Amino acid sequence: MNFLLSTQRLSTWRGRARLAVLLLVVSAAAAQTPTNNTQSRSGVKQTPTVSKTYPPDLVEQGKALFRRDCSFCHGRDAGGGESGPDLTRSKLVTADVDGDKIAPVVRIGRPDRGMPPFDRSDQQISSLVAFIHTQQNIALTGVGGRGGVGGRKGVDPSDLQTGNAEAGKRYFEGAGGCAACHSPTGDLAGLASRYSGLELEEQMLYPRHAKSKVSVTLASRQTITGTLAYMDEFTVGLIDSTGTYRSWRTRDVQYKVDAPQNAHVELFPKYTDADVHNLMAYLQTLR
Amino acid sequence: MNLRRHAFLIVVSALIAFGIPGILRAQGANEQMLLHPPADSWPGYHGDYSGRRHSSLNQITPQNVATLGLAWAFQTDQSAPLKSSPLLVDGILYFTVPETVWAVDARSGHLIWHYNSPASQGEHIGNRGVAIYKGSLFFLLPDAHLVSLNANNGTVRWKVEVADVGKGYWTSMAPLVVGNHVLVGVSGDFDNLTGYIRSIDPETGATQWQWNSTPPTGTPNQTTGGMAWMTGTYDPDLNLLYWGTGNPTPVLNGSTRPGDDLYTCSIVALNPDTGKLVWAFQVSPHDTHDWDAVETPVLVDADFHGEPKKMLMQTSRNGYFFVLDRTNGKSLLTVPYGLVNWSLGVDPQGRPIPNPAKEPTPDGRLIAPDEGGMTNYRSPSFDTKNGLFIVNAHPSWSVYFAKPADGVYGWAGADYGVWGKGVIEAIDYQTGKIRWSHEIGPESGAGVLTTDSGLTFTGDGGGNFLALDSSNGKTLWHAGSGSRIVSSPTTYELDDRQYLLTSSGGVLFAWALPQAQ
Repeated sequence: MNFLLSTQRLSTWRGRARLAVLLLVVSAAAAQTPTNNTQSRSGVKQTPTVSKTYPPDLVEQGKALFRRDCSFCHGRDAGGGESGPDLTRSKLVTADVDGDKIAPVVRIGRPDRGMPPFDRSDQQISSLVAFIHTQQNIALTGVGGRGGVGGRKGVDPSDLQTGNAEAGKRYFEGAGGCAACHSPTGDLAGLASRYSGLELEEQMLYPRHAKSKVSVTLASRQTITGTLAYMDEFTVGLIDSTGTYRSWRTRDVQYKVDAPQNAHVELFPKYTDADVHNLMAYLQTLR
Repeated sequence: MNLRRHAFLIVVSALIAFGIPGILRAQGANEQMLLHPPADSWPGYHGDYSGRRHSSLNQITPQNVATLGLAWAFQTDQSAPLKSSPLLVDGILYFTVPETVWAVDARSGHLIWHYNSPASQGEHIGNRGVAIYKGSLFFLLPDAHLVSLNANNGTVRWKVEVADVGKGYWTSMAPLVVGNHVLVGVSGDFDNLTGYIRSIDPETGATQWQWNSTPPTGTPNQTTGGMAWMTGTYDPDLNLLYWGTGNPTPVLNGSTRPGDDLYTCSIVALNPDTGKLVWAFQVSPHDTHDWDAVETPVLVDADFHGEPKKMLMQTSRNGYFFVLDRTNGKSLLTVPYGLVNWSLGVDPQGRPIPNPAKEPTPDGRLIAPDEGGMTNYRSPSFDTKNGLFIVNAHPSWSVYFAKPADGVYGWAGADYGVWGKGVIEAIDYQTGKIRWSHEIGPESGAGVLTTDSGLTFTGDGGGNFLALDSSNGKTLWHAGSGSRIVSSPTTYELDDRQYLLTSSGGVLFAWALPQAQ
């Protein structure tokens, strides 16, 4: 069975956790025994794995629990609902072995993304894991997955091929102003090998995982720079060059945040839909 | 002896002054209390019937709010986040999560009783609270049943089904009591189902009437949906009930439901005694972006451009602020309160005109705001003192997809938020202009409460409770809550002490000014 590693996404589980999860996925996927290598619909090489089947009773129990607690956000068929990601295309689900990745997410939640923790027994979590994997298997074999009633549906890389790469290149170099920060031979070299499909489009529109830099000037005039780790009206926190978290009351210091990704926000109202599709076509040429 | 006689006189005077209303109130929330909530009560989801969430209490002021401290906290010791607005009647708070009601002493935060009814079916996404009438509570369960509890001890009086959970309905809203009616609405977006509001007899649980927002499932070329999943408001003088209805289904694909899709994404005025529609105003004709119009229909009596008006105001999920004449549903003002890109303008009736080019497509359409909308379930507040409509807004962008393979059932497409932020906005209701705005970081689920003393209470995206100066939006007090805030603050006065109630995660916090021990 082919799990669509490259086309899955973590959707609304954004931000800092994402990179860590990606690393987990890569290591877990590498540990699996490939049975054959095939091309996905996106044309990117996949690392297939052997699907596991679960006892029907356990799956049924998980289904009932999933409908109670998970389906509003993730859809009744785990294919995505209001705000929550499609779990059948989740890299984390793909990498999960008997709940080793899913269980911590259920128990701890994703507080940064609005997912609350769920205090559930080992047995209940096992049933959820069985249901989620079963739904992923169904979705990937095409048996009822895309027809699963009611839930949010997926976006295939083939859906995103309506743009014109030449026009996208002109937009990149001209009206879009992309070239002011990015270079097809620099930071974006090989971009299309790293991202594809919807994930690439989302990265293009707004790179959620991008870190901001911050420099904090203390009353003593000492300036400390680092990666912005926390910020609200009252507290600013950074990770300094030694990897240490430090924070101050905003009222006690002066600080300057350098967040070049905000240029993406300024572009939103300027884009036409054709600009988005053309830019997407162009970025897909950067292999 | 003299001293004792003196003390006796004081007690008698106190009984005369306070005892008699106290005895009346011990009967629970009667019609008078619901119509005119006393300072030591919060007897409905919105407090009073207007939905303004503006309190006349003024002990906590812009000058002293910085000294606000914790009076008590109540921990539910479970993981479901508190989304309900606690009711307060006779010194007892009642609040909920799905399947569970707590009755807690409003002076101390200690548990009086606790009701739990495990429901294996239905979405457990949230519960917004109970309604109270006389000595009875009314509580909707995830499996679309309404249970009536004895407010004294949480024992069950009766339980009735309000919708078929097997078809895909569930319930999460706080019922509204108007006269002899318990009004409930249903939820259910993952199936093509008819939305409705139902009136139920508070004594027996019998259905009095039902108003359907959309035709029966399967009617050719007609929409389904229009779920009424939030609590409406009520004007006792006009005897009209105001309610917002949800989005049409299929959600993102409008091809099987050509036209406006009445009465989805609408504000409707119903006669509470008969359930008959008196007028309707559709805020999103032919919606294809999941933008429910269930946000609180706030009732305001004030001048509009020099003329006294009975108005209804809504900051809708679709990004527009609406002011209507609530006697007839005619538009007075329609203006965006953030960036929207999905409409071609506003028609002569004051309705936004959806741009067909911004309907979801196979290759995606970039849309502002996102599916969660410019605002959502969190309550706004109308500050009667400053004439400001204050809302927790969410400027945002997303990409919407739909293709034939996604079918025409339930969601029927996909959408992905790409960016958003949270801003508390104070809107001048006569012009729609933003008088002040206050950035709160990422989107926050906190509602808004204003007080006569000039304070705005809400919460930011980092989980801080905030008190702002209502005249300019400046922060005057904050407290980190340790979790995401997805509820709206309330306030009350007991023993001459004003309390502010806020919640985040599974903890309810009561705040008050310092007092001598």
